[in-house]
Amino acid sequence: MKKILALVLAAMMVLSMASFAAADDGYAGNLKIWVAEATVEFTKAQVEAFKAAHPEYANMTVEVLPVGEGDAANNVITDVEAAADIFGFAQDQLARLVAANALMDVEPENAKVVAAENDAGSVAAVTLGETMYAYPMTCDNGYFLYYDKSVVSDPSTLEGIVADCEKAGKNVYFEINSGWYQTAFFFGAGCTLTYGTDNEGAIVSSECNYASENGVKALKAMINLAKSPAFKNGSSISAGSDIGAIVDGAWDSNYAQEAFGENFAAVKLPTVDGFQLGGFGGFKMLGVKPQTDEAKMAACDALAAYLTSGEVQLARFEAVGWGPSNLAAKSSEKVQSNVALAALADQLQYAVPQGQYPNDYWSLATGLGDDVIAGKYNDLDDAALLEVLQNFQNTAASYVTAK
Amino acid sequence: MSKKNEIPEVDIVIDEQKGVIREVKQPNLRSKAGHERRVNTGIYILLVLISVIWLAPFVFLVFQSFRSYATEDGGMVAYLLPKQWSLDNYRWLFNDPKSNFLRWYGNTLLIALFCAVIQTVMVLSVSYTLSRLRFKGRKLIMNVVLVLGMFPGFLTMITLYFLLKQLGLTQQGAIPGLILIYVASSGMGYYISKGFFDTIPKSLDESARIDGATRFQVFLKIIMPLAKPIVIYTILMAFMAPWGDYVFASYVAFGSEPNYNVAVGLYRWVNVNDYQGYFTRFCAGGVLVAVPITALFLALQKYYVEGVTGGAVKG
Amino acid sequence: MNDLDYLKLTGFSKLGYKLKKFFTGIPGRLAGALKGLGLWFVKLFRGIGSALADLGSTFVHGDWKTKLSYLVMGFGSCARGQWGRGILFFLFQTVFNLYMVNFGVAYLGKLNTLGTIETYREGRKTVYGDNSFFILLYGVLTLFFVLAFLYTWYMNVKQNRVSEQILKSGKKLKSTKDDLKSLMDEQFHKTLLALPTLGVTVFTILPIFFMILVAFTNFDATHQPPSKLFTWVGWDNFRQLLSSDNASYGNTFSQVLLWTLIWAFFATFLNYFLGMLVAIMINKKGIKLKKMWRTILVMTIAIPQFVSLLYVSKMFAADGLINSFLMRLGWISTPLPFWTDPVWARVTVIVINVWIGIPYLMLIATGILMNIPADLYESARIDGANAFQMYKKITLPYMLFVTGPYLLTSFTGNINNFNVIFLLSGGKPLSLELSGNAGYTDLLITWLYKMTVSDTNYKLAAVMGILVFLVCAVINLIVYNMIPSVKNEEDFQ
Repeated sequence: MKKILALVLAAMMVLSMASFAAADDGYAGNLKIWVAEATVEFTKAQVEAFKAAHPEYANMTVEVLPVGEGDAANNVITDVEAAADIFGFAQDQLARLVAANALMDVEPENAKVVAAENDAGSVAAVTLGETMYAYPMTCDNGYFLYYDKSVVSDPSTLEGIVADCEKAGKNVYFEINSGWYQTAFFFGAGCTLTYGTDNEGAIVSSECNYASENGVKALKAMINLAKSPAFKNGSSISAGSDIGAIVDGAWDSNYAQEAFGENFAAVKLPTVDGFQLGGFGGFKMLGVKPQTDEAKMAACDALAAYLTSGEVQLARFEAVGWGPSNLAAKSSEKVQSNVALAALADQLQYAVPQGQYPNDYWSLATGLGDDVIAGKYNDLDDAALLEVLQNFQNTAASYVTAK
Repeated sequence: MSKKNEIPEVDIVIDEQKGVIREVKQPNLRSKAGHERRVNTGIYILLVLISVIWLAPFVFLVFQSFRSYATEDGGMVAYLLPKQWSLDNYRWLFNDPKSNFLRWYGNTLLIALFCAVIQTVMVLSVSYTLSRLRFKGRKLIMNVVLVLGMFPGFLTMITLYFLLKQLGLTQQGAIPGLILIYVASSGMGYYISKGFFDTIPKSLDESARIDGATRFQVFLKIIMPLAKPIVIYTILMAFMAPWGDYVFASYVAFGSEPNYNVAVGLYRWVNVNDYQGYFTRFCAGGVLVAVPITALFLALQKYYVEGVTGGAVKG
Repeated sequence: MNDLDYLKLTGFSKLGYKLKKFFTGIPGRLAGALKGLGLWFVKLFRGIGSALADLGSTFVHGDWKTKLSYLVMGFGSCARGQWGRGILFFLFQTVFNLYMVNFGVAYLGKLNTLGTIETYREGRKTVYGDNSFFILLYGVLTLFFVLAFLYTWYMNVKQNRVSEQILKSGKKLKSTKDDLKSLMDEQFHKTLLALPTLGVTVFTILPIFFMILVAFTNFDATHQPPSKLFTWVGWDNFRQLLSSDNASYGNTFSQVLLWTLIWAFFATFLNYFLGMLVAIMINKKGIKLKKMWRTILVMTIAIPQFVSLLYVSKMFAADGLINSFLMRLGWISTPLPFWTDPVWARVTVIVINVWIGIPYLMLIATGILMNIPADLYESARIDGANAFQMYKKITLPYMLFVTGPYLLTSFTGNINNFNVIFLLSGGKPLSLELSGNAGYTDLLITWLYKMTVSDTNYKLAAVMGILVFLVCAVINLIVYNMIPSVKNEEDFQ
């Protein structure tokens, strides 16, 4: 028995020395990447380009699999070991991932480059406390209005859009039961809802003033919208039908152009009840999970940095229409002239850069939205609506973890 | 099947004085027949209505699957009949390099075949033992299974996942992993076939035992040939179940698209926002899954009826 | 109240009397069950006690072979020529010892803290510390293994005693060949049950035991191995789920539980009566194409639910086929809130479940209806009974009698009916009045799923699982004895 053990130990030592040796000349093992389905082919091509440019990584085996930004964080948290080494995710998951210790902080040299080359909002979005935890990939994670020119004559007020669609028997899609789209109303009316996090991703403070005159105004606008027969809750073009107008993001722009054909149009969000709809401006990012092998870690750092570099961001925009966060790529002529991204940029003036939110916030907001859609508040007066929002605000504040 | 259960229309009565059975002369005989006809017409109307409700979703599903992807887009629409009929969606499922459908289909078929064999062996072993053999601890086993069955199945998902992972049977190994968890505890579903074995007379075993047959020989040569209906029922159930499993299959295979089963793959097309315009493809895929399963089920319906009826009666 | 008094009551007060009797009987039945459980434990401890006494007396009276077998398992068997048994005993002991030395002891030692070494970073490299999950899992596995070992060890000693006695009486011991033969004959049950028992132990009992323990830890998204440790927290999780202060889920839990029971009631009995009705219609004399009607109905059983239910769920959406069809007809001006209004959503899932459930009941009812003796109907008709009276006095009692146990299993089955809710509504709509991501159509089981998969809140999911078990167990205990057809299973043979 002891002999076998000794043999195994010896073999392991040889192996680990081999991997030490490998640290200097790159990495030749396996590496797994999760990205959204639409960018799988693109990412594969970019990985090949990366390997060609970095001979020390030429023998690395990279597997690119479609796992959407929505699922990635959940999967990574469920089992870090089985998760991809590099994965794309949307900003709202950052604190959760950090709290679960599922993200490696960005390599210091890379962090400097990222901070210098990317949009300030996106840099803030990948940073918790002092530490940068992910590589910004896009700054198009906001929403705006796609509409059918033949249906909607004037997209500047929500009331007008709804009236046009009602007349034409078309639908207005706005996912008001999502904590993400819902803020268009509340933030637009001048409310705030933010959480503060510490270095480890724990939620330590909150600020919310939904229970106010402005909050009531926003809630009433939601209630009025939900009352219309043309209103449908949703934000996916392909899951909707008879679309007159839809509040959706840039990731759907290619599909929107196909769906609307020559009547395709995109603008910033309209005003409602006299105030401009606001909302979140968010970012998508690439994260790297912690590794037990330094050589692999170095490979992940290098590859993630490459996949979020200016050129690749620009190429990604050209391939799938995702708006870059890299300043140089962002200011390129092609990006500037894109209709959907122009609409987004227009809208982002009114939007708040998205910070970190506890996971419970999203289901709380869905609860509020579902109540609105179910018509529970249709007959309430302002005082009663204020009470609803007070309740919302109290629950939102209760998610702060006591230290 | 239909003869035995018909309730005879009784227009006869026993005439006690004369001691004979004679037909009753009913003054309202004609209106009674009319009443009968009206009742039957009512039932026909109801049955047709029910049939429409039952079949409509499937017919709609088929319609959607034939909608042209090229000219009418693959998303949801509010109309029923395709403006242009085409095989676009089916063609895409089979030919497009981006489509993993055939792979998923093969995965599921493989799982279903293995389950059909192993699970049947497990279920028959347990149900035969508990039904026809008497030994110490038999009641205890039945009570333990009853208690275990009251725990919700998804409770232990995370544990099963990590158990499988220890064996290397998640993600890339998801297919054998799924087979393992489907069959491992399948012995617990012994009720229905035990109910069947209970109905086979014990005297058969006893006379064979007197003739010197071992229990194994009794099992193999005497009981199994009689158990054909329940064997087919068990195989059918074991084969059909894996086609519909989303929850475990997605939990075990997450992140590894080539190792999904059809349920996971197709479910994601309609419920994950990354997939735009996959609705008609979902419909086509759904049809391709549903048609063979339904055909198999209808062909073996007789055994299914025997199984559920027996199982329900004996609990 | 004696039988005569009972018969004098009107129909309505008869029902009242029965209900009263049912509810006043509940405490008694529960107490009976607890008593049964207590007796079982008493029996268990007595058994252990007598086993210990056996061990003592065997050691005192046994020969040297037996005595050595206390240390080296299987020695006695080998020494007496039963090589097969002896070697198996010895192998088992060797494997056990190796396992304990290499893993078992270490895991058992950490079981009280579930690990203390934190994960840390070494430059850009991560070095993982203790993994609480595996400590708990292997800890439990080791406990199982130890129990199995003790039992086998006891068997090994007992074996020696029995062999000594047999040899003393002058008979011969069974050879290995005899042992193998008996596995196909007297001991055939062991052969048949070996694999299923192993499967159930590893993939059902072990995980359930593990999850019951998780309910007493803080295993959740922020204490997720391998990066973070989790540890024991006592009854905190039960408190969070059941108490009703602000941050707890008590109110939501009682609402979800109530809805789960309502759902199970309708899903069971509505399907039951409608299924029976359809079966009666199809089987009625004079109705043609019986086979066709049946085949059409069973389509919902045959087609995988993830296809049919997902599609039907889309049909009922605000922008789905049904709403747009009705709106185009001009029958409604706003979409019907099938999935958005709490009451509508609950009714809709129940109704669509009828679509799934009727065919199943129709098949069962058809089989049973055929067995009702036709002369019962005949004599009833002569007595002038109409169709409804015959149904009430003959068909229904017969059906209820025969399918009593089925109704019970189907009720508990519906409490755990995951697919229909998950695929149709996903538990929606949510509300500010509910917390913890639960919605109005969520059952305990779908809520448990959400906790596991979307919130990775395993500790609460574990508590929920225990509570679902308790609900099912209580219902079974209450109802089981009332069922008329709980017969002695030997009666069938």
